[in-house]
Amino acid sequence: MTAFLINLATLAAISGILASTLNFIVGYAGIFSVAHAVFFGLGAYGGAQVALLLVPNPFLACLVAAVIAGGLSLCLALPALRVRGEYFVAASLGLQMVAATLFAELKPLTGGIGGLVGIPRPELFGMVVPVLPLALVALALILWATARLQRGAFGRTLQSIRDADTAAEALGKNVNAAKTLAVAFACAGAGIAGALYALHLSFINVESFTLDQSIQIMAMVIIGGAGTLWGPLVGAVMLLSLPAVISFIPFIPPTEVGAVQQIIYGSAMTLLMIFRPAGLLGDMSKGKSTS
Amino acid sequence: MLFLQLLLNGLQTGAIYALTAAGFALIFGATKIFHVAHGIAFTIAGYVFLFAWRADWPSWLGVLASIAAAMLFGIVMERLVYRPIQRHEGSFFTVFVAAFGVSIVVQNIIGMIAGRGFATVDTPLSFSAEILPEIFVAPMLWIALATAAVLFVALTLFLTRHPAGVALRALAQNPDLIRTYGLSSNGLSVLAFAIGSALAAPAAIVTAMTTGLNEAIGHHVMLISIAATIVGGIGSLRGAALAGMMLGIAESLALTVVDTQWAEAVSFLVLFGFIIFRPAGIFGVTQTR
Repeated sequence: MTAFLINLATLAAISGILASTLNFIVGYAGIFSVAHAVFFGLGAYGGAQVALLLVPNPFLACLVAAVIAGGLSLCLALPALRVRGEYFVAASLGLQMVAATLFAELKPLTGGIGGLVGIPRPELFGMVVPVLPLALVALALILWATARLQRGAFGRTLQSIRDADTAAEALGKNVNAAKTLAVAFACAGAGIAGALYALHLSFINVESFTLDQSIQIMAMVIIGGAGTLWGPLVGAVMLLSLPAVISFIPFIPPTEVGAVQQIIYGSAMTLLMIFRPAGLLGDMSKGKSTS
Repeated sequence: MLFLQLLLNGLQTGAIYALTAAGFALIFGATKIFHVAHGIAFTIAGYVFLFAWRADWPSWLGVLASIAAAMLFGIVMERLVYRPIQRHEGSFFTVFVAAFGVSIVVQNIIGMIAGRGFATVDTPLSFSAEILPEIFVAPMLWIALATAAVLFVALTLFLTRHPAGVALRALAQNPDLIRTYGLSSNGLSVLAFAIGSALAAPAAIVTAMTTGLNEAIGHHVMLISIAATIVGGIGSLRGAALAGMMLGIAESLALTVVDTQWAEAVSFLVLFGFIIFRPAGIFGVTQTR
């Protein structure tokens, strides 16, 4: 039971990082990416390769993952600078589909459909360390950084871009630089989550980095409340504990647990959008028309 | 020869994509709603036809039931999901998330009822015959192309000649003026959803008879429709249909160079390129959004 709870807590912390970083661009900068799992995947493969080929040092793995994901975030920043709204969502969908194919097909780097197996446990100073404390520290750091940024000049610039980017530009804000930086920060964070995920499970394959995953991360942010500090975390914990809760309901056959889980979060997404579009922790007065 | 064979296969896929993309473009153009649950209308239509076939209904009745089911889904979406959201000025993203939620729910319900994995309607129409040396074509190809062509002519006539069609085009251009003239924009958007969703039904039936359906197929159809609408230029039905046809052919012809797994990625590379270099699409008016 303890092992089960530790596993759940680790996954919740990793999902918390993913949701918080996505919230950073969705909630504050108004960049609605449905490709977050791509950068999660890039970080996971990067971190896993570091652990497999070099040393299983979690800090090195996270650093490499953040650099790869942050660097390749330009693929997402580029359409974000060119287009908005529906067009950007479509571009990020396209990026997600192409990346999933790449993950499945670039066998030397990603192991293809079979994935990468036998990723060594993370070690620090010759001792095996669990991933949970690392993930919690990373989550705390990212929440702290988000809170700081939110109050600081950069956060205000982003929010002004979200609400009226022409006005922001007219006030002398460098919109392009701010968007690129925000995307790089969020994607680097997703990369770190990926490295921790790979080290925790010691097995990764493309299944965890598909559109479904991106949508699930998006659902965490939306259900919790985009643009709030704690909302995405609440959403992450809720969505992750859902399968565990469902498996305790006696009349659902185990084969249908996945489907029931998806039906629950799908309907939660729709109903929230109709009745409470700002999310559970969102401020209703601020939740309107942030496109 | 392989090239010609792939081109013919691509035409069939293209006809299917063109029909669904035109439906999506019609809805988006007239109502400005990014109807990501459009793929689900396709899935529902396909499975209704499949069940009608299995229940030994005459095929015309199956086709009618399938069209009716798709239309009903579109209308229900408009009335119960999009209308309430737009009432409190929901942003486009609120609409996107709500529609995606619906597609997740319906897809899983269909998976639970109909079972997961591929299901096909077996008909002699999809048996291939050799029409030229090494070129195999099933009668289904001609049916798909003819259906697409007839429906486009009908749709164009409707949009240019029939008063309701003209009103639909007016709604796309200036919804406020429509109200000034005393027409109901609500009624017209229901009409757009009904027609747009109905266009997915023939495509779904052709798919059921050839490559088969699975519960997740709506996802793919939705992505292709979005890609075709943007590549064709938002607001242009002709563009969406043409782009859908092109994407189908491109996916098929890409097989001469790469493996099957890459077929879908080809469409999205095209989309990604268009968004970065020509966001207005082929027929669209250049505008900065």
